[in-house]
Amino acid sequence: MTAQAQAAVKGAKTEEAPPIEPVRDIPTDWEPSVLAFACHYCAFAAADLAGVMRLSYSPNVKIIRLPCTGKIDHSYVMRAFERGVDGLFVAG
Amino acid sequence: MNEKKNNVKRGSVLITGGGIGGMQAALDLADSGFKVHMIQKESSIGGTMAMLDKTFPTGDCSMCMISPKMVEVGRHPNIDIHTLSEVTAVEGVPGDFQVTVKEQPRYVSHELCTGCGACEKKCPKLVVNDFEQGLSKRKAIFSVLPQAVPHTRVIDPDACIYLQRGRCKACEKFCPTDAILFEDTEKEYRLDVGAIILSPGLARYNPEIRGELGFGRWSNVVTSIQFERILSASGPFMGEIKRPSDERHPRKVAWIQCVGSRDPRNANPWCSSVCCMYATKQAVIAKEHDGAIEPTVFYMEMRAFGKDFDKYVDRAKNQYGVTYRRAMVSDVRQEPGTDNLILRYAKEDGALVDESYDLVVLSIGFQPHPDALEFSHIFGIEPNLHRFAKTTQFDPVDTTRPGIYVTGTFQGPKDIPETVAQGSAVAGRSMALLGEARGTEITEVELPPELDVREEEARVGVFVCHCGINISQSVDVKKVAEDISREPGVAYSDDLMYACAPDGQEKIKELIKEHHLNRVIVASCTPRTHAPLFQDTIRDAGLNKYLFELADIREQCSWCHMGQKEVATRKATDIVRMNVAKTRLLQPVETDSIAVISKGMVIGGGIAGMTSALSLADQGYEVHLVEKEDQLGGLARNVYRTLDGSDVQSFVKDKIAQVKAHPRVVVHTGAEVSNTGGYIGNFKTTLTNGDEFEHGAIVVASGGVEYEPDEYGFKDSDQVITQRDLEKRIAEGLAGTGKHYAMIQCVGSREEPFNYCSRICCQDAVKNAIAIKEKDPAASVTIFYRDIRTYGLREDYYQKARDLGVLFVRFDVENKPDVDVTGSKIRIEAFDAVMNREVAFTADCLVLSTGLRPHPSTERISKQYKLTTNADGYFLEAHVKLRPVDFPSEGIYVAGLAHAPKNVDETVSQALAASGRAGALLSHDRLSVSGIISKHNRDMCMSCLMCMRLCPFGSPFIDEDGKISHNEVICTGCGICAGVCPAKAFQVNSFRDDQIFAMIDAATHDIGASV
Repeated sequence: MTAQAQAAVKGAKTEEAPPIEPVRDIPTDWEPSVLAFACHYCAFAAADLAGVMRLSYSPNVKIIRLPCTGKIDHSYVMRAFERGVDGLFVAG
Repeated sequence: MNEKKNNVKRGSVLITGGGIGGMQAALDLADSGFKVHMIQKESSIGGTMAMLDKTFPTGDCSMCMISPKMVEVGRHPNIDIHTLSEVTAVEGVPGDFQVTVKEQPRYVSHELCTGCGACEKKCPKLVVNDFEQGLSKRKAIFSVLPQAVPHTRVIDPDACIYLQRGRCKACEKFCPTDAILFEDTEKEYRLDVGAIILSPGLARYNPEIRGELGFGRWSNVVTSIQFERILSASGPFMGEIKRPSDERHPRKVAWIQCVGSRDPRNANPWCSSVCCMYATKQAVIAKEHDGAIEPTVFYMEMRAFGKDFDKYVDRAKNQYGVTYRRAMVSDVRQEPGTDNLILRYAKEDGALVDESYDLVVLSIGFQPHPDALEFSHIFGIEPNLHRFAKTTQFDPVDTTRPGIYVTGTFQGPKDIPETVAQGSAVAGRSMALLGEARGTEITEVELPPELDVREEEARVGVFVCHCGINISQSVDVKKVAEDISREPGVAYSDDLMYACAPDGQEKIKELIKEHHLNRVIVASCTPRTHAPLFQDTIRDAGLNKYLFELADIREQCSWCHMGQKEVATRKATDIVRMNVAKTRLLQPVETDSIAVISKGMVIGGGIAGMTSALSLADQGYEVHLVEKEDQLGGLARNVYRTLDGSDVQSFVKDKIAQVKAHPRVVVHTGAEVSNTGGYIGNFKTTLTNGDEFEHGAIVVASGGVEYEPDEYGFKDSDQVITQRDLEKRIAEGLAGTGKHYAMIQCVGSREEPFNYCSRICCQDAVKNAIAIKEKDPAASVTIFYRDIRTYGLREDYYQKARDLGVLFVRFDVENKPDVDVTGSKIRIEAFDAVMNREVAFTADCLVLSTGLRPHPSTERISKQYKLTTNADGYFLEAHVKLRPVDFPSEGIYVAGLAHAPKNVDETVSQALAASGRAGALLSHDRLSVSGIISKHNRDMCMSCLMCMRLCPFGSPFIDEDGKISHNEVICTGCGICAGVCPAKAFQVNSFRDDQIFAMIDAATHDIGASV
């Protein structure tokens, strides 16, 4: 977001609103940390299949197995972002 | 039953041969209440599959699949393994056989040997290692393979210095448990069993007979089974690809196909069915091991006829750069000084070339054991022309002697899934024979009492598996174990070579006791296949089986991050750390059991469905057979003869009559399933005609349809017909004589968007061509083909067609024949790829070999039962190798064309397998419910009804107090209720919120909450 746009956003808000955190520069060596919630029966199986087929993907993805993606709880999503993950992938 | 005199039925079955087919039969039978005696000639079970490195077309590790099965067989209370044993005589009648068994001395006590291997280290005698195909040496006291079951060592009496010359006894001196028994002797005893299953497996062709290929003379000419061992992580080169002469890494590697197959002069006339695919697999895996390798496969015909096989070959070509050269190698010579090999062959244009390779792999074929004839004699069964067990198209697993069944490669060359399916099929046949004797000869399992660990602080034990080199090549497993040992709650952490092997499991049990571990993590492969095995292991050590987690660091780490050892090791540590965080919070779970409705439902009334229904009914279960059409019979109604001339029409008529007459089969024609509710063991189905019934198992045999072509003027001319039309005309009597029939293969198959082989069309063409030539020798037949895929013993008929003068013209897919129909004559022009020139024919009739397509109902059925299909629209089984007739959804099985195109005998085998599997399920009065279910806390519940609205299974309900209660029996543990519950009154066992939070926190331990 440009500084101009930020100013526009700020200007639109009332004074009590907390300041919006400026977007930080991304360091060149930065790697996003991604957490995935995967259904035991399909997406987790697909992750296994990716291994069987020797498909390569970024090692920054960690998978938490759920019995079904219906098990996902908003609190899991909140917790993950609170803990600093950069992306969340729910697959099932 | 024609043996009226003897009404004795024994509740036990004898299985000769502990390969994958024998093991499948043993497990199906033992799980459903039969005692099994497994007779194995070698010192360990496992068979050929245990020698393989990987399997096609998925590239799964063979040992990782078979090892858990071997362990399961080895530990099953209803299976007795008799190693180093052979059957010498069989007497009696179906239901009551008396079998004489001769057991060779092992010289090591099963009871005392711990498998520690101290003896083997000290044994001074080195012998050629047969299991490693002569590529390495073993000791005189040895274990055939590291994962051997039983893992008791064995002394080779021909090599043992003491047994030969009377001194040494080094093993005895160093054995810590005094397990060596030099005084052991040969034993002979009698076993009384109800049925006999023959699964002795195969022998391989000795390629020295074909001297021109240089095997035995040039050390860098190896057989395909030697190459499997070269590829294997536990093989002579530890999975590194080296050639024998100088252990250099070969660059150019050639596979020569059909060595010992399709060659009546020097070898065997049949096709071995598997070599095209295993060579492709070996080329792909070799390339994966070492990217510098340039593989070339020299072949006559690419017989990729199975499900998803053509796609695998395409991937080998396009993705892995495997070169396929259609040529027969006439000569292999060693290049002086380099140990390289010069292959002489004719190129497609006919020019002779010499090309140098670093390593040559001979794709050797299957053949029956040298003592197959004697074997047939002992069991009193008839062999066929080629010394395989004689069976028929319609009874493919029945030998000529009632009560004796056959599975696997002793019935004919075949691959693993077909062998496994036949294993379940023979189990089903035995259950039908012995039904009422079920449960009479088994012993109940006695488990140690469960330790109460609820109040104890967590003491987690972590076992990080090397999986040979599968994990350790990309992950530093020792470092993972060391780093994890510092995690809170971890009381023990170490690495293991093969956690799933018997010695690995024993070690886990010992360490649980030694370190008072109360929760266990194995970091190895996927929990989807291996968790039950380890759960049983910790249960044996007195822990509740839900105090276990499997950290997947193979499929989801080492295999995805090859060549990145540092990051892969870090990720593996993170995965284990996440599981440690969860495991600390695990609590024991008590499991419930449910009653099973001992009835089956079969969807589809074709050959597969009728066979399946009859088999279940013969096993003693009521079956509902649901057929959408008004009459039974399916596609087979349009088939007249099989390739060997068997009469399909009367077979179908006979089956229909049997189904209709069977007191336990209820036929619902003109009906489809409108809804099925429930779950394994307890389904309730409503049909479109209003019929309603309950059942415990489902067999989906919904069939396929024939492709209706619009190619080659089919829609425009009556003279352009399909093989099915021709078959009907032949059955009705061909009009006229001396006519010319032209046939074109692969119409609508093996091309996008239907890029798969329909498997039946080559047989159809050859069958009809033979029929025409036999009825009218003056007629001529020309078959335009891409590859003739008369696999297995079907090759005889390809040969017969050629002997009868049928002309075969090969074309390439880019250069299909041109067809011009004018008046009564059809002109066909093609480029003959064999003669390398244009050819033209005039025919009276053009016959198109059209393939098969999935049945239109497949999509609906897949939605109804939440089943998946492959890219071509056929149902996808739970596992392409080891669970060929199971669906991932429990209690549902698949058979016939619904699964993939196949021939009649294969359909019958598969249908018998599906009913064998379903019968094993229905034999239980009660099934244990999974412990992974949602638990409802009524005190926290506000009865907002969210759960009730969203549960797909209807397990939450309003009870007599007007509040929500939860029916745990039909809960599948999906956790939708837990996700939506605002009060968090639902928590799923082993997936509780606190456990998931702990995993999230552990996954983010290095980024922390500060961001």
